Amino acid sequence: MKSKPNLKTKIAELEFKNPVTVASGTFGSKDEYAKFFSYEKLGAVITKTVTRKPRTGNAMPRIWETPSGMLNAIGLQNKGIDDFIENKIPYFRRIKTHLIVNIAGESVDDFVYLAKQLDGIKGVAALELNLSCPNVDKGLEFCSKSSLTYELVKAVKETTALPIFTKLSPEAHDFLNVVEAAIKAGTDGLSLINTIRGMAVNVETMKPRLAKVMGGLSGPAIRPIALRYVYEAKSHFDIPVIAKGGIATAQDALEFIIVGADLVAVGTANFVNPYATMEVIEGISRYLNTHGYRSIAEIRGKLKTEKTNTMGTTAG
Amino acid sequence: MRDEWVTILDNRKINQAYWKLSFKSSFLSRSVLPGQFVNVLLEDDSDPFLRRPFSYYRTKNQTIEILYEVLGRGTRLLTLKKKGDRLKVLGPLGKAFTQSAKGKKQILVAGGVGVPPLVFLAEYQRVSHLLIGCGSKGEVLPKSELKNVKAQVGYATEDGSYGKAGFVTLLLHEVIQREKNPKNLFIQTCGPHAMMEAVIKMARKFGIEGEASIDERMACGVGACLGCMVKTHDGYKTSCVEGPVFAFCELED
Repeated sequence: MKSKPNLKTKIAELEFKNPVTVASGTFGSKDEYAKFFSYEKLGAVITKTVTRKPRTGNAMPRIWETPSGMLNAIGLQNKGIDDFIENKIPYFRRIKTHLIVNIAGESVDDFVYLAKQLDGIKGVAALELNLSCPNVDKGLEFCSKSSLTYELVKAVKETTALPIFTKLSPEAHDFLNVVEAAIKAGTDGLSLINTIRGMAVNVETMKPRLAKVMGGLSGPAIRPIALRYVYEAKSHFDIPVIAKGGIATAQDALEFIIVGADLVAVGTANFVNPYATMEVIEGISRYLNTHGYRSIAEIRGKLKTEKTNTMGTTAG
Repeated sequence: MRDEWVTILDNRKINQAYWKLSFKSSFLSRSVLPGQFVNVLLEDDSDPFLRRPFSYYRTKNQTIEILYEVLGRGTRLLTLKKKGDRLKVLGPLGKAFTQSAKGKKQILVAGGVGVPPLVFLAEYQRVSHLLIGCGSKGEVLPKSELKNVKAQVGYATEDGSYGKAGFVTLLLHEVIQREKNPKNLFIQTCGPHAMMEAVIKMARKFGIEGEASIDERMACGVGACLGCMVKTHDGYKTSCVEGPVFAFCELED
């Protein structure tokens, strides 16, 4: 029998037992998936977005299925930071895996407030800054302009000792400049990508399928786009990346790892297959064994690109 | 709750409106109550992407029956499944209809996708009336499907081709009128939103208690996505975990 390949991944001074986590908002806010498997098997848990005040979320309908994906406009429904610290963190504290808390606000002040509340709280390993929710007012503002991204990330970084991952939208106008601004401001890593805005219409009623009209597209439909953004970011910058966007199987996760992703997050696929993360972890190990690799580090970022000449054949 | 691969025993059209699907599972059929549901994965290749929720219609000797209407691409694909094909089924999910109507006469009001769970309830408990609304005679359930229902069954068809002509609320109104003290009734309803709204409105007018099974478009079925929220006096609640059955008094007007 082959020995178990080493899946350990170290980024932002945190060691993860494996590179598999969950995308914010797709894994409930507490124990919704605990009846299927132990959270300790995950490399990390990334929470649903927490905001300063409770949010009731958007009106119904909030979701609509699309080809190989779905649109959602949940609107960051959550009970707010006080409830989170009182009722959610104690639950996660008992679980032996890293907890990354996703936070969002409408102003720099909101983000700073949230970071301050979470700083030094036992059980919180890192923060993920949601600069890219398309379903709330001002949700995309902080990654629409590199100067705003810089200001926000810097302010949070100065507030907390926790590592921070900045979650960006593929809709950022000048993506690489926004990434550079986040890095200059001191982000410890990036989270790529959030959903992409889309919409659907019921032609019988001529009404939008979502009450909010537009929503975020997620699922396998956006995977090639996510992969491209992770590849671009990793090609230009030496920065840890938590990759997400349509990852449903080990094969999908491996694509992201091969282009350089440090962690991979299963997102909307959790809704369809509650065991998706467990299958991804097993599948990555199987792949490494089958191909004779002893550790995940041996394949990370090892995309083989070859220059092609004008005839389309491979040059030497 | 468990996610299981099951093998289809039978899948056939039973009238103009419904198809009946059956499969065996000891876990998914154990201690299931009327009002609960399963979330079914039709294809394992991301298209269609989401699962489809279906109420339990009947469970007997570990065999589960689902009664479904063809309403879109997912259910159309389901009709193509044959005996021996496999489906991935997550269940049992959701809160059931109450097990205690406090000695009141239970009146069930059903339409469309609300028919299967209420037939299940009428087989499971001794209820007074099962009132069903549909478009026309071709959608009326065959007698064999109602043979274990002890209640008085009333049909209303929109085109008047069977039973009472008009909406099912006409039948409900007649039952209420015949009752000396309508507060002795307990209404349980499931069906199109417009039908349930009319039923709840009538119930409130006569001071009748009851409950409605409210389905909203859902993805996960386990309370994670927050896609299927129902507005209650206590804020939004998930239809999949905190519902789908809600008391009339919990719901906003």
